[in-house]
Amino acid sequence: MREPEGPAAIAGLGMTELGKVFGRSPRRLAADAVRLAVADAGLALADLDGLLVSHGMSGSPGIELAAALGLGDLRLLTQMSALGATAGAMISYAAMSVLSGAAATVACVFADAPLRPERPAGAAYHRDAPEYHGFQGMTAALGFRSVNTFYALAAQRHMARYGTTSEQLGAIAVATRRWAAGNPRAQLRDPITIDDHQRSRWVVEPLHLLDCCLVSNGAIAVVVTGAGRARDLARPPVYIWGWGQGHPGHRRAGGAHDEAGEWGLTTGAVASGQVAMKMAGVTTEDISICQLYDCYTYTVLVSLEDYGFCAKGEGGAFAASGALGPGGALPTNTGGGQLSGYYMWGMTPLSEGVIQARGDGGERQVETNDVILVSGNGGILDHHSTMILSPHPRS
Amino acid sequence: MEIGVVRRDGRGDAFFDGAAADRLVIKRCGGCASWYAPDANECPACGGELGWATASGRATLISWAISHGRPPGDGPVPPPVLALVELREGPWLHSRLIGADRADLREGLPLRAHFEHPEEGESYLVFRPESSGRTDHFSGDRPREEPRS
Ligand SMILES: [Zn+2]
Repeated sequence: MREPEGPAAIAGLGMTELGKVFGRSPRRLAADAVRLAVADAGLALADLDGLLVSHGMSGSPGIELAAALGLGDLRLLTQMSALGATAGAMISYAAMSVLSGAAATVACVFADAPLRPERPAGAAYHRDAPEYHGFQGMTAALGFRSVNTFYALAAQRHMARYGTTSEQLGAIAVATRRWAAGNPRAQLRDPITIDDHQRSRWVVEPLHLLDCCLVSNGAIAVVVTGAGRARDLARPPVYIWGWGQGHPGHRRAGGAHDEAGEWGLTTGAVASGQVAMKMAGVTTEDISICQLYDCYTYTVLVSLEDYGFCAKGEGGAFAASGALGPGGALPTNTGGGQLSGYYMWGMTPLSEGVIQARGDGGERQVETNDVILVSGNGGILDHHSTMILSPHPRS
Repeated sequence: MEIGVVRRDGRGDAFFDGAAADRLVIKRCGGCASWYAPDANECPACGGELGWATASGRATLISWAISHGRPPGDGPVPPPVLALVELREGPWLHSRLIGADRADLREGLPLRAHFEHPEEGESYLVFRPESSGRTDHFSGDRPREEPRS
């Protein structure tokens, strides 16, 4: 067994074309992303001794990806699923494997291809049917036919409880689009205004179209290795200071221990943020940049509150203050996030976190990038992950 | 948005039998008497087996969302109000509100279960404000057959 090699770091980042990328299966996209990440690190595929593959929507690859890449003599190989929290779960498992010596150099990959050339993007995550079966089918028949409806309930609950407004959610969409303008990879880069947000059609009220993320095909991979080794590789290491998860077990999802019934108002970001920030030895005061899982504008708002960047109920005012956009006090989703950039589940915030930590952000690069918080959110605010990244080794 | 046709799937038939008779039939643990939604499989509190039992039909509103439908939309019909409700017995269910004035929607609004009996397919569950509409009395201990519309 190899000696464990100190703190873990991200040494490679591989991103395929993202968006309307047709003609490549998720497995092919995943293999391409792993090859790109390995090359980015200045490694060869044969240097990998671990591969973690994320669950996705549409025929995502499993552990057979190792064979497709010709990998052998692996010490770590598994498919992982914590929905939108999977990227955080993969990175933390890779980091622990490196720290323990169980594996030395681990690729983590997500791939998905829900877009089809002949159908609208919304169809990828929406189901209409001629008939519906059973009790759950009845729920769909009544109108719960896409994830949008459940997030609309969450946002509406926050609005009713705290007076949060659609315009405040719009401020998140506008700030995120401003960041996207500086990201050549972003799918939507034209500026938008609060008026544009307000005039965009209802998806499910209170969510407008511009409150909802994109749908993208593509794949993203990172390579995690020991910090010492990472320093000898091609790119500046991105040090992994901390990680955490939070799974509240809401009653909405059948959980039995949710007496408070705070689903939609409070998320696993509370627990996962506390664990990750404690591990990293930082507080919200130390965070320079946030990369938050923004499947909806509302997810950003509630995550900011739960992490403690503002008080519960004040996320709307915080977003409307301009803090999140370029030049703001808390640069957030600096690549355009999932709302305007690309939707690669938890790899969207992670990839932009790596880009910012390396100083590779081009015209959107944030000057102060010392501590970067990356979140993941899965289910309907049911599963949460947090990572703390830095261009500096932890002192 | 049209309500689709609902068919049985063999697992929730007791719920649909209850719905046809205007009774809210959900799951209950034989071990600890905790109540669960009709699609629950086992009791997370004690691991006990779940059976079927008639609930009170009383609930409160947790949150709501307005489904405007996909273009070209539903025409002049008011868009449906989707609802997350908490049954008096504890479980949370996703359903629809009928007979609700939008201005009255608030967390904690008292609701009653109500069953629609379409010509095709199974009866289905919606909720309406306790104070609204017809005054047909509904409760679990005094089930009452509703005239089919
Ligand atoms: Zn029990």
